[in-house]
Amino acid sequence: MTPYSYKSPVLTLDNVSLTLHGETILRDISAQVLDVCRPGLSQGQVVGFYGRSGMGKSVLCRLMAGLLAPSSGTVLVGEAQQPATPGAVGFVQQHYPLFNHRTLLDNLLVAAARRYPEPAEARRQAAEYLERFQLTPHRAKYPAHLSGGQRQRAAIAQQLLCSDHLILLDEPFSGLDVAMLDEVRKIILEVTTLDELNTVVIVSHDLATTTALSDRLWLLGQERDAAGQLLPGATISPQHQYNLAEMGLAWHENVEAEPEFVRFVEHLKEEIRAS
Amino acid sequence: MTFFFLSLIAPMKSLFLPNARPPRTTFALMAAGQAGLLLLLWLFYPLQLFPSLGDVLRALADLTTTQGLVPELWASMTTALQALGMATVLALLISYLTALPFFRPLAYAASKMRYLTLTGLTFFVALLVSSGHEVKLSVLTFATTVYLVTGMTAVMLGTTQQELDHARTLGLGEWRSFWEVVVLGKLADMLEVVRQNFAIIWTMITLVETLYQSEGGIGLLLYKQNRYLHLDGVVAIQLVILAAGAAQDYVFGLLRRVFFPYASLASAR
Repeated sequence: MTPYSYKSPVLTLDNVSLTLHGETILRDISAQVLDVCRPGLSQGQVVGFYGRSGMGKSVLCRLMAGLLAPSSGTVLVGEAQQPATPGAVGFVQQHYPLFNHRTLLDNLLVAAARRYPEPAEARRQAAEYLERFQLTPHRAKYPAHLSGGQRQRAAIAQQLLCSDHLILLDEPFSGLDVAMLDEVRKIILEVTTLDELNTVVIVSHDLATTTALSDRLWLLGQERDAAGQLLPGATISPQHQYNLAEMGLAWHENVEAEPEFVRFVEHLKEEIRAS
Repeated sequence: MTFFFLSLIAPMKSLFLPNARPPRTTFALMAAGQAGLLLLLWLFYPLQLFPSLGDVLRALADLTTTQGLVPELWASMTTALQALGMATVLALLISYLTALPFFRPLAYAASKMRYLTLTGLTFFVALLVSSGHEVKLSVLTFATTVYLVTGMTAVMLGTTQQELDHARTLGLGEWRSFWEVVVLGKLADMLEVVRQNFAIIWTMITLVETLYQSEGGIGLLLYKQNRYLHLDGVVAIQLVILAAGAAQDYVFGLLRRVFFPYASLASAR
């Protein structure tokens, strides 16, 4: 197991609740993502939030991305732990939106212009990301001409160009075949190796893949009161917060084939079924 | 022989399959066949209610040589283009202003004004402006604007939360997000709205030109042919308007392909 230590928080959810049109969607969610340090390695981390369909995962993403204000509680991001505002966190939404009226290069330049006001530098950075994500041959194409994988890589590159190390992926494995799934895993791991400060937050309903890639995992679910009635809104119970790095299940080659991993995923499934 | 016949018939089957994409040549042959059938029907239709092709062609030649069909068409077209230009600017302005809640009632009211009748409107406009040309232009601009606002606001309302959120996550402010997603992102759709509504100008211009006859125009020419029951002339002018409209549609399509090449990439053909 690679030695590691934690430093300052990069994302904090402190008693976050959200009520929309009188309906409680999320209730008292607390979780903290700490910057991880692995001596001798320049590698960031992947953390995961699992939730069944309809649990409010996308809403949680919007809260973490600063696109939605919580009804109560706070969402703090970055080393300075500032309240989340749009643009403070890179956020790749489902279906990987891009500006359809701009070419791939122009899409990246719009994103780069914020962090690199000098046009020549913005162009250089965009070219670097195109190269790194194997998109250079497609730089003049419009998004409608890109494949699903290329589109996802482009959307991630766009967010990386303008965000500070923290990047949120909403359902990155949804509807992918086996080959594409491997491709997306590669991209996610590639993002963590770009900079040791990079933290990728996966919010997904794909339990096995999310668990395999994550260093830490939180399960979103519903709790019951003393009478056994379901409480409104999804939350994260204290027993549903897992430090996979501590458990020796942080991502490494073939982790999914290991018996401990298989047993752990089965345990998670039982927990989910019981909630 | 049977094989040859089958190979000819096989692609034709696709013409009757839902959502099928027949070969280009098959489709062109089908369209030519339909046009030919229509022409034959016109040539040999036994009832003489409708003027014959020969009569219409003669009327067209007469209208062109003695009654100035081309200059009248040109006069109407320049008025129509002027009105369309002004209406487009106005409608875009009103539609984009709906980004600010303060202006939303204005767009709503403008959209509902398409129910106003043109004749009553002309009377009020005539009280406000002096020349006949200005009346025509004002009425056409007003009527086109209210139709364009309806279409343009519908396009803007089609903007999804995801599109705006995407711009916001890139750190673009609210106005910049609006500019990128709604203004630039929907420009091709706005042009399509303009193209679709240009036809309305042609239906209105003929009416307005009969109310204000001092400047002539193809509408007045049509009115005169109608009045003296020159059905061959009426059909000839209608066909000219139809051809002008088709040419306009083609030009708009061309502009869309040249300036917004991305617009048709994702659509099913």
